[in-house]
Amino acid sequence: MDISIFIQILVWGLYAGCIYILLAIGLNLIFGVMKVVNFAHGELLMIGAYVTFWLYSSSGINPYLVVPISTFIMAILGILIERFGFRPIRGTGKLNEIFLSLGLIYLLQNSAALLWTTNSRTIHSPYSDILVPLGTIKLPLDYIIIIIATILFLIAFQLFMKKTTIGRAMRATSQNREAAALMGINVERIDMLSFALGSALAAVAGSLWLISGQMVNPYVGSLPAIKAFAVIIIGGLGSIPGAIIAGLILGIAENVVPVIIQSLVAVFNVEMSFTAWKDTIAFLILIIVLILRPTGLFGKKGE
Amino acid sequence: MNREKIISVKTCLGFISFLIALLMPHIFGVSQYLLTVLIIMLVFILYSSAWNLLALSGQGSLGHAAFFGIGGYTSAIVVKSLGLPPLATILAGGIFAAFIGVLIGLTCVRLKEWFLAMVTFGFAVLAHTITLELPGLTGGWDGLPVQKVIPVTVHNYIMYEYYLVLITTVIVLFVIYQIMNSKVGLAFEAIRENELEANVMGINVMKYKLTAFAVSAFFSGIAGALEIHHFGYITPEVYGIDISFWPIIYCVSGGLCTIEGPILGTIIITLLDESLKNFGWTYERYIMIGLILILIVRFLPKGFVSVPEKIKAYLRS
Amino acid sequence: MRKHAILATVLVVIALFACGVAQSEETEQQGVGEIRIGVVAPLTGGASTTGNDMWQSAVLSAEEINANGGVNVSGVNMNITLVKGDTETSREGGVKAVTKLITVDNVDILVGGFSSGITYADQVVAAEHKVPFIITGASSPIITRRDDIDTNYFFHHCPTTDDYPDSTLLFVDDVVKPEIYERFNFSEDRPLRLAVLYQDSKYGEGVYDGIKKVIEKHNLNMDIVAAEKFKMSETDFRTVLTTIKASNPDVLYPAAFLNEQTLIVAQGRRDVGLNNIYLSVECNDDPDYYSGVENWGEYSIQESRFGPYAVPSGDIHDAVVKFRDDFEDKWGTSPSMMGASTYEGVYIAAKAIEDAGNLDKSNIRASLAALEMPQIIEVMQNGVIAFSPDYRESKFELYMQQLISNETLDETRPKIVWPESVKETDFVLPDWYEPGSKAEEQTPAAPTPKGPGFEAVVAIASLFAIAYLVLRRSK
Repeated sequence: MDISIFIQILVWGLYAGCIYILLAIGLNLIFGVMKVVNFAHGELLMIGAYVTFWLYSSSGINPYLVVPISTFIMAILGILIERFGFRPIRGTGKLNEIFLSLGLIYLLQNSAALLWTTNSRTIHSPYSDILVPLGTIKLPLDYIIIIIATILFLIAFQLFMKKTTIGRAMRATSQNREAAALMGINVERIDMLSFALGSALAAVAGSLWLISGQMVNPYVGSLPAIKAFAVIIIGGLGSIPGAIIAGLILGIAENVVPVIIQSLVAVFNVEMSFTAWKDTIAFLILIIVLILRPTGLFGKKGE
Repeated sequence: MNREKIISVKTCLGFISFLIALLMPHIFGVSQYLLTVLIIMLVFILYSSAWNLLALSGQGSLGHAAFFGIGGYTSAIVVKSLGLPPLATILAGGIFAAFIGVLIGLTCVRLKEWFLAMVTFGFAVLAHTITLELPGLTGGWDGLPVQKVIPVTVHNYIMYEYYLVLITTVIVLFVIYQIMNSKVGLAFEAIRENELEANVMGINVMKYKLTAFAVSAFFSGIAGALEIHHFGYITPEVYGIDISFWPIIYCVSGGLCTIEGPILGTIIITLLDESLKNFGWTYERYIMIGLILILIVRFLPKGFVSVPEKIKAYLRS
Repeated sequence: MRKHAILATVLVVIALFACGVAQSEETEQQGVGEIRIGVVAPLTGGASTTGNDMWQSAVLSAEEINANGGVNVSGVNMNITLVKGDTETSREGGVKAVTKLITVDNVDILVGGFSSGITYADQVVAAEHKVPFIITGASSPIITRRDDIDTNYFFHHCPTTDDYPDSTLLFVDDVVKPEIYERFNFSEDRPLRLAVLYQDSKYGEGVYDGIKKVIEKHNLNMDIVAAEKFKMSETDFRTVLTTIKASNPDVLYPAAFLNEQTLIVAQGRRDVGLNNIYLSVECNDDPDYYSGVENWGEYSIQESRFGPYAVPSGDIHDAVVKFRDDFEDKWGTSPSMMGASTYEGVYIAAKAIEDAGNLDKSNIRASLAALEMPQIIEVMQNGVIAFSPDYRESKFELYMQQLISNETLDETRPKIVWPESVKETDFVLPDWYEPGSKAEEQTPAAPTPKGPGFEAVVAIASLFAIAYLVLRRSK
């Protein structure tokens, strides 16, 4: 296979990986601090994208500029979900959290369908006509913005967690909740903040995804969310670097592996299309990792 | 009020509802529509109870449609290739689903809570993909025509079908009830409460977890086979996400880990759904279902079955 | 106390149950001098937009027929009453709805049926009761061909996946290929390089099979150089389009739904730079397509039988415009093509009952089989609606549209370019078009391994490096 084609496919994988990473980090943060899993995290991505669409279509300004506003709105929604959904059922069992998020999925998906109908919505990016030549391939500017934005977000996130008081409190809470509470950290406030931050990251992922030429409809959230779960399971629960690496691996693998298999079986004169196997490959990786290493590639023992 | 009396009340009620169900075709006449609705409801009662059994051992599955579909496909394929009557193949569907259930259970046995939820969900996707990749056997996307349990030519066949499904459901419920009240059921509960302690007390956790998977998959497979033999056609839509999620909604709203929970949950939610539909509600209906689920988890963690207790507590205070 | 509480709950449950039953029994008995038509459509659930469109179109045609004095059945004028059958976009719902229409509402004939998967399940009930069913929304040819049930009562008034590629490929062979070959001086015996990108579903596979059948049937000089699948409601087609581009196609034929088609064209033209002629299957002629695909859809080809913008010229023109205006007046939205065939379905049912002279179902069936009526708002082959004797399918004359950019709207609009009888304008081969050259001709100076995408490699490597640093520091 031509090397430039391979590189182009690699870039598509990188782009998909960026979205998974943003989503997975938010999910991971919430899990780390609260030890709850929000299965409806993908729905936050979907609502975030809708809010951006709504702000954009009612104001008509550059869509990249409305992303911070929709991120803020989603952070507030995240706080509400935490306060009235997950906080009251804390400690009543993991199954209850799964059921609650199932209810949230039904609630959010159908509310979006009611508010914005089920027709797919798009945002016309102002830069959609600009192609940046990189060697033999040409990349639309929007992708480069997304990749750079993701890297910047990761660096900012890392600095926030390491340098600020709140970030330190979050890390302390995720290491040992009781001890953190004894040290005078208001753990409930930390819960709320981490949920807000997680929702905000989901909104960023959803908005960037929409602006880069994707569509949003009420059902787009589930698949990226499932991939994000796979990412944090593969990377190890609570491990941010694990999530980054696993996100990249998953994004690239699901794009590259089908093409490789296809060219491999072509050697034996079998013409078969494996591109529809993208999602199945994600689950296969997940299942294999869980069988071999139940705590994930970078997970701590006994988590 | 002593314990025996409560049980006897419950048994009484169970018996009365069984009688009502039994007389249904005679009260309202043999209405094909009514009986079709009831058959689908019974199939889902059976299926939700199977899911509930797995939850009893502390394992929540988000991909039970895999067993439902495998049961259906197995039965359809056996009927087609061996020419056996559907009555026998429904059992085959259950057995093969149980076999797959044990395999999945083996990979899942070390996983808990939402790891397990994710992996079971993944297996449903996998089952869907594999079914599609074997078009020679499964008909691929076109699916397979399936023989009906009772041939359409029989007069009032729908009534016999109804009784067949009813009796199967009652038998399965009885078996599940026996399991729940046996040593196995106690072991399941012990594992659900605390796996480590159960292990220390000498319960073979792995064995019991696999048993739960196998039995639950077996009954789900039977439910799937019953449904497709009632419809007369099977397509890969049986692996739908909805099919995985409905039993959870039914069980949680009815009452987890109780025998009457899935029954009550299925009936109430189905009726609610049907009546909201008459208002012309579409998305609002699902919003309601989502809200009900959230509110139940929050305020009524034991489901509808605990409503009498709540009322009693309220009256006493 | 407890006993009472439990009893109360049970009573409530039973009461609720009785209500549900009563509701279903409540439907009024059949009035004399009335024809009852059951409309089977997904009014709720995933496909509710299409379902409501089908219902609204059916209402429109029933009102028109009733306003014109109803249906003359052996000298008695009977009005049409429509009964809703909501399939909820699920198999369970479909079976329930059709059973209710037949056994509780006692309908004389069924019209509608969207989605083949659901129709497979609910048509079993119709076959059992021998109720004629005019299927206007399911694209699988198997619906009237399956042999496990008696399909004699099913009449398919909707193009099937076997029909879609027929017109499209004949058009490509007839118009597109000569244009390309002339501009690039290809010899006549060079086969046209066709790439297929199909949805991994009954629908997508049906179209792909249809393409192969059509090439064989008409002995077309075409090679399928790539055949790739994608999962339903996929949103990222970049990788698969990149692989397709590597196979150097002349023309790309996606078999996709609206959302997917929009993304395939936009991502193919913009991100991957696949500057081909894009074909499309008929169901995508929808306002959302034109707004979603932006100007990337310019010059792409669409198959259609009824659409929001283009109107076929010829005899049928006025009828189409009237239907569209009436629909918009009544419902405030524009009708879709599933609505158009359902609208016709009610007319077909009325005509069949008139021909039969009574409401006996086997007579209605017989008159449907012998039916021959002029086309209504969709172009039919030979201008008549008639069901083929073998599999009871009506034959549509599908037309081809090309998307032309409209400066004032900043969107594209379709113009009919084929066949001759209904066309509005000529096909244009865009300037940016690039044909797929033969593999031998291609091999230009092989790209040096370091040159191409070097920056991309560096970018990826640096990302890994950052990830590594982050990882190391957190330990």
